[in-house]
Amino acid sequence: MKTYDVIIVGGGHNGLACAAYLARAGRKVLVLERRERVGGAAMSEEVFPGFRFSVFSYVVSLLRPEIIRELELARHGLHILPLESTLTPLANNDYLAQWADHDQNRRELARHSRRDAEAYDEFGLLLHRMARAVKPLLSTAPPDPASLDPRELIDLLRLGRYFRGLPEKDLHALWKLLTMSAADYLDEWFESEALKGTKSASGIIGTLLGPRSPGTAYVLLHHYMGELDGVFRAWGFAKGGNGSVSAAIAAAAQAHGAEIRTQAPVSKVLVSGGRATGVVLDGGEELHASIVVSGADPRRTFLGLVGEAHLPDDFVASIRRYKFRGASAKVNLALAELPRFTCMPQPGPHLRGAISISPSVDYLERAYDDAKYGEISRRPYMDIILPSMLDPAMAPPGKHVMSIFVQYAPYHLNGGWSDARREQLGDTVIDTLSEYAPNLKGAILHRQVITPADIERIVGLSEGNIFQGELTLQQMFFLRPAPAWSRYRTPIHGLFQCGSGTHPGGGVMGASGRNAALAILGRRA
Amino acid sequence: MTEVVVIGADANGLVTAELLRRAGHSVTLLQEEAPRGRTVGWAPPEVANALELSGLELYCPDPWLRAPLGDGGMFELWRDMARSVESIRRLDARDAERWPRFCERMATLARLLERIYVEPPPSLVDLRFAFRLRRLGRQGMEDLMRLLPMPVAELLDEWFQSDVLKGALGAHAVRHVMQGPRSAGTAFRLLHYHAGSPPGVFRTPSSNLAGLLRARSTITVRQAKTARIAVRNGEVTGVVLEGGEELRASLVVSAVDPRRTLTELTEPGWLDPDLVRALRHVRSRGVAVKLAITFERPPDWTTLTLAPSLDYVERAYDDAKHGRVSAQPWLDLLAEGKVAEVHFQYVPHQQAGDANIGALATKLLAPHAPAITECKLARLPAAWPEGQPHQAELALDQALWMRPLPELSGYRTPVDGLWLCGQAMHPAVSGVGGYNCARAILRNT
Repeated sequence: MKTYDVIIVGGGHNGLACAAYLARAGRKVLVLERRERVGGAAMSEEVFPGFRFSVFSYVVSLLRPEIIRELELARHGLHILPLESTLTPLANNDYLAQWADHDQNRRELARHSRRDAEAYDEFGLLLHRMARAVKPLLSTAPPDPASLDPRELIDLLRLGRYFRGLPEKDLHALWKLLTMSAADYLDEWFESEALKGTKSASGIIGTLLGPRSPGTAYVLLHHYMGELDGVFRAWGFAKGGNGSVSAAIAAAAQAHGAEIRTQAPVSKVLVSGGRATGVVLDGGEELHASIVVSGADPRRTFLGLVGEAHLPDDFVASIRRYKFRGASAKVNLALAELPRFTCMPQPGPHLRGAISISPSVDYLERAYDDAKYGEISRRPYMDIILPSMLDPAMAPPGKHVMSIFVQYAPYHLNGGWSDARREQLGDTVIDTLSEYAPNLKGAILHRQVITPADIERIVGLSEGNIFQGELTLQQMFFLRPAPAWSRYRTPIHGLFQCGSGTHPGGGVMGASGRNAALAILGRRA
Repeated sequence: MTEVVVIGADANGLVTAELLRRAGHSVTLLQEEAPRGRTVGWAPPEVANALELSGLELYCPDPWLRAPLGDGGMFELWRDMARSVESIRRLDARDAERWPRFCERMATLARLLERIYVEPPPSLVDLRFAFRLRRLGRQGMEDLMRLLPMPVAELLDEWFQSDVLKGALGAHAVRHVMQGPRSAGTAFRLLHYHAGSPPGVFRTPSSNLAGLLRARSTITVRQAKTARIAVRNGEVTGVVLEGGEELRASLVVSAVDPRRTLTELTEPGWLDPDLVRALRHVRSRGVAVKLAITFERPPDWTTLTLAPSLDYVERAYDDAKHGRVSAQPWLDLLAEGKVAEVHFQYVPHQQAGDANIGALATKLLAPHAPAITECKLARLPAAWPEGQPHQAELALDQALWMRPLPELSGYRTPVDGLWLCGQAMHPAVSGVGGYNCARAILRNT
């Protein structure tokens, strides 16, 4: 029987990144993926003949540059096309456009508010500085502040020294970002509703919180991390869809000798005497390794694959209370023609960027109000891209694909999700969007609606949470996913976690996978 | 001996004035309006000792919380843990079992706050503060880190099942803040209101602190409205009263909110424009009104809370969030004899004069209280900017080292000799901000 040093459960982008780093360090690695292809939620698929979609996650923004570099992802086929603008259509046929070109952007902002145009650069610089202050933490295994272990104490002191080294002003600015609501934070800077709405939207992505709830300013910063390297607004689209990200990482892992098995669902992690010894597949096949790494989320890993019997009670309690509450859905459309937004009807560069349905903070807050009480937002927030405008190979010639990220569609829907409710969600999205682009309804050839329940069923993310657990302060850094277990280790010896349910959390970032690999290798980042 | 003027004769102003006088300064205490009633806030022993107070009385009703049940019964929480447990058992046996443990865990954290509150706020990277946190032990530290940023609804959902229990506790945590129980950072407020009380009591007591000090012959309060604070060459020189009289002083301490103190009473030209901008952004939104009601006959209780579930309170907040008076507000009554004071939340400050508020409260109270013969809106104290008693809303981004702004958190202002001692200052407990401020002044002069 073939043996391995490390078995990785789940071939999502973090599992693959972890595999690539371990294989690169000479370990014999096996990745087991339940589905017929790797990628998890970073996956491309020809859903309708000729139309390819990034079915779930759809932009590349947070992928750590060191991963792109160290794993040579460009050589393995990753090609990122920049998304250069954000268009926010407004009700009165007006719009707010944010452009990559600085002067053009400033002129457009000044059209809405001269003051906002003035403040915009300073705001950008501040968030840039904050993101830079937080950036080193992304590749750190968070030490346990209550620990007595000398190694962790040293890490704690290093962390303390790092923060003490930051200017006091920056520390206070960071504290504000951690504790404020996106709405309050933006109110301090801007006055234009459309700008505040669109900016605060990045504070609510992936969480069941409204822009007026404290804690959302941090999610806003989290999404600014991607705007760091290279160009200021470095959100991009992976050529071929987000599956290309996973494919490139998989290729890097394989080039270093890692083995990847698809259609190999793991049903159980084998534990003997408090140690992980391998895994059992659905068919009963046993595979052994001294190290098992789970890319699945904490609930599936510990309550599903490992089982409570092997775990301490307080740890089980922590995992049980860890919050998912998925709130995001996705609508993928195959289109016969491009949408014509009444505010900007001609095809143009705005269709190669993001289109955001976020006319005001109030609009988003009302969308949240519905979801808070278990209903689909009557008028949801949407983040839209047209991948075929960036990569024509995504659709047949002359035709297009549209990717619509939707919030809020609560996992815990009153009455539960059903086919009818899924279609209701699809209709709500199309109806709302048609108000801004009336030709849309007639242009739709096919429609795919993915609810949080679908995300859970298809990809295995509990409650459909795209971050493997809400990115709230009480579930971050040394509390992610459970106090004292934030360093990728688990109470089971030899069992590690590498999913985005660990620090630093979600987005197609890869940091969790890389950090976990370094923790297994006993190295600091 | 320094000439000192203290602006504002609420508990904070009185404590500051008295401590400075005892240190040998000559103090003039100005008040715009006579404060009424008891001082809301616990009086820490440190403060009482420094003032050599005798006859200090703390008042908190017992049961401290009383909420009607759907079936006509009453749910009560007492100072006596066993009695509370019995009352909770009627709602939910599992909740009753968990109550003592919950109270113990919260009390551990509240004790930490009590220690932090009688000192100037720690700095964010204070090593002493870090060691103090570690002394809480693993459980305490984990609780603190998790709990501070949490929505109070999430905390209560983790522990309890009963809507009645969770609704009432959640309501008390969001008292006087423009947030609902599902907003992050509200669990911290449950601790804030718990500080100074025995385990299991999550209601701030009131005291006769201000009354005792006002009764002292050593303190004279002058009825006068401050027109401006005089500054020359970046140094305070005195206070000009409305009418033109100037009181010369080399030390001026203001219990008035920082925005008014620094941008209205002081010529803002003395300040860094960034600070002025930051002061404008200090959130101080009022969210509640007080009603004075008279019953036909005295009720057989002293307190009543109408907040039947977390969703009820959250929906009340939704209205306020969108600028309306809550259609179903949460109410909290403190009764003495035939009269009662009603805390009515939420009312956005712009709506505070809404004529329908009294009728709404009367309707909501009808099933639970004796007939109401009179109900009128009580005027909010002038010292509450926009109707906010904490002057600066007590939220995590305006607490501790951030209160009310990092630049002002040491009670000192950029104007030499001008200090702040009001509710907007750490720890937002009446009298304690004054105590911390006076001590900071005495250390620095």
